[in-house]
Amino acid sequence: MTGLAIDDAAWASAWRPRSPGDKVLISLGLVLSALLLPVWPGSVLVGLVAVGLALGPARVPARTFGRAVRAPLAFIAIGALTTVVEVGSDGVGWAPDAAAQAGSLVGHAMAGSAAVLLLATTTPLSDLLPALQRLRVPAAVIEVASVTYRMLFVLLTSLRTIREAQTARMGYASIRGSYRSSGALAAAVLTRSWDRARRLQDGLAGRGLETGLRVLPETLPASRRFEAASVLGLAALAAVSLVVA
Amino acid sequence: MHIAEGFLPPAHAIGWTIAATPFVVHGARAVVKEVRENPESTLLLGAAGAFTFVLSAIKLPSVTGSSSHPTGTGLGAVLFRPPVMALLGTVVLLFQALLLAHGGLTTLGANAFSMAVVGPWAGYGAYQLTRRLGGGLLGGVFAGMAIADLATYVTTALQLAWAHPDAESGFLGAAVKFLGVFAVTQVPLAIGEGLLGVLLFRVLTVNARPELERLGVLTPEPDDPREVSRDQVREVSRDQVREVSRARAPDEPPRSER
Repeated sequence: MTGLAIDDAAWASAWRPRSPGDKVLISLGLVLSALLLPVWPGSVLVGLVAVGLALGPARVPARTFGRAVRAPLAFIAIGALTTVVEVGSDGVGWAPDAAAQAGSLVGHAMAGSAAVLLLATTTPLSDLLPALQRLRVPAAVIEVASVTYRMLFVLLTSLRTIREAQTARMGYASIRGSYRSSGALAAAVLTRSWDRARRLQDGLAGRGLETGLRVLPETLPASRRFEAASVLGLAALAAVSLVVA
Repeated sequence: MHIAEGFLPPAHAIGWTIAATPFVVHGARAVVKEVRENPESTLLLGAAGAFTFVLSAIKLPSVTGSSSHPTGTGLGAVLFRPPVMALLGTVVLLFQALLLAHGGLTTLGANAFSMAVVGPWAGYGAYQLTRRLGGGLLGGVFAGMAIADLATYVTTALQLAWAHPDAESGFLGAAVKFLGVFAVTQVPLAIGEGLLGVLLFRVLTVNARPELERLGVLTPEPDDPREVSRDQVREVSRDQVREVSRARAPDEPPRSER
């Protein structure tokens, strides 16, 4: 358990041994379909396919997926509501095609979120970051991002431990105290992150690795069958949506 | 406040990505240069990114009853300068999209523009201005963090209004709507984050003075008795003890290393 449910799911997923490129292909294909195809039936199909693939072949726990889908829901609901409420000279009212507009926004957003989650719950970030090299992202940037990924779990654990200690000492009993505790918590985590970086650097320098954490990426071979099935499936999805719409 | 995946029409998603790209590339150049000159900064920058991500796990109590989390862009801009923050902020946004399902991939450009470009630059400007006008470090930090938050929120609201203009009153009406709806959470958050920054820096100026001086946030004061922090004193004295013990018994390893 690392503390981030989506990351845990990604490491445990049945699709973990698949090539990150393959998973990016199907997920980004679905993300773009969700954005570009008409909401009925395009987005609905994208949502169904993304959820089906994640819960079926990729064996992501339904609870994790369900919880993660809920994360952007508040924003989507408030945003869509705000869009369809009309402010005119005669006060506030519903926009003329409020239901259709809200449905379309929510459809696109939910389908897109599900498609991003398909990638997120099957591919750990440490697999994805080396693949960025193909997009000509500089190696130094990828390395900084990899250190960020490796370090954030340690810092999250520190944060939770410190907060637990503060809570046990009534640190969050009042609003005033909460602010004081939050400030001390942020300061402690920040100084710990510096300390940890310095100690890691010392340890690496002592081993002759002066340019950071260089590790061999795991080779996860691409599957031609998976790629072909993805492309065919996406094409079929697009064709069906355009014909029905 | 991150725009969710699929919430922006394709043209806007592409447009904001193009708008954010030069800033992020500029930040990437700054990071590459920094890493080439000081290889050890890879880990410090990584730590800064991880801290910015983890900061969003701190919940700030708010007067309106809701609790919201700080964005950390103003803090990052004060500590690490806006160009570096443009890159780190974008990396953190990508991580938030893929690890927390906050934000999205096609909206990454729009979110990067508001949170990693406009927020840090506005916050840094407010911080510098307040310090120049004699507001002191803590006043500057409060202004920097609060303004970074407000600028991010206003930018996001305008992005949404542009993408989804009101059927009757157009862009302006939509801007008023989005600014009004999100003000409920974002204005208290901006004040709260400013306060958090003040409390954070009050601790840092005591506990992490050398780091703040190295980052250029504080200038070293030669006559300040606290110039050497407690940690440093301990290190210096420990090293001296080792030197002394080595000089005394060159063939014997010092006690502590046995």
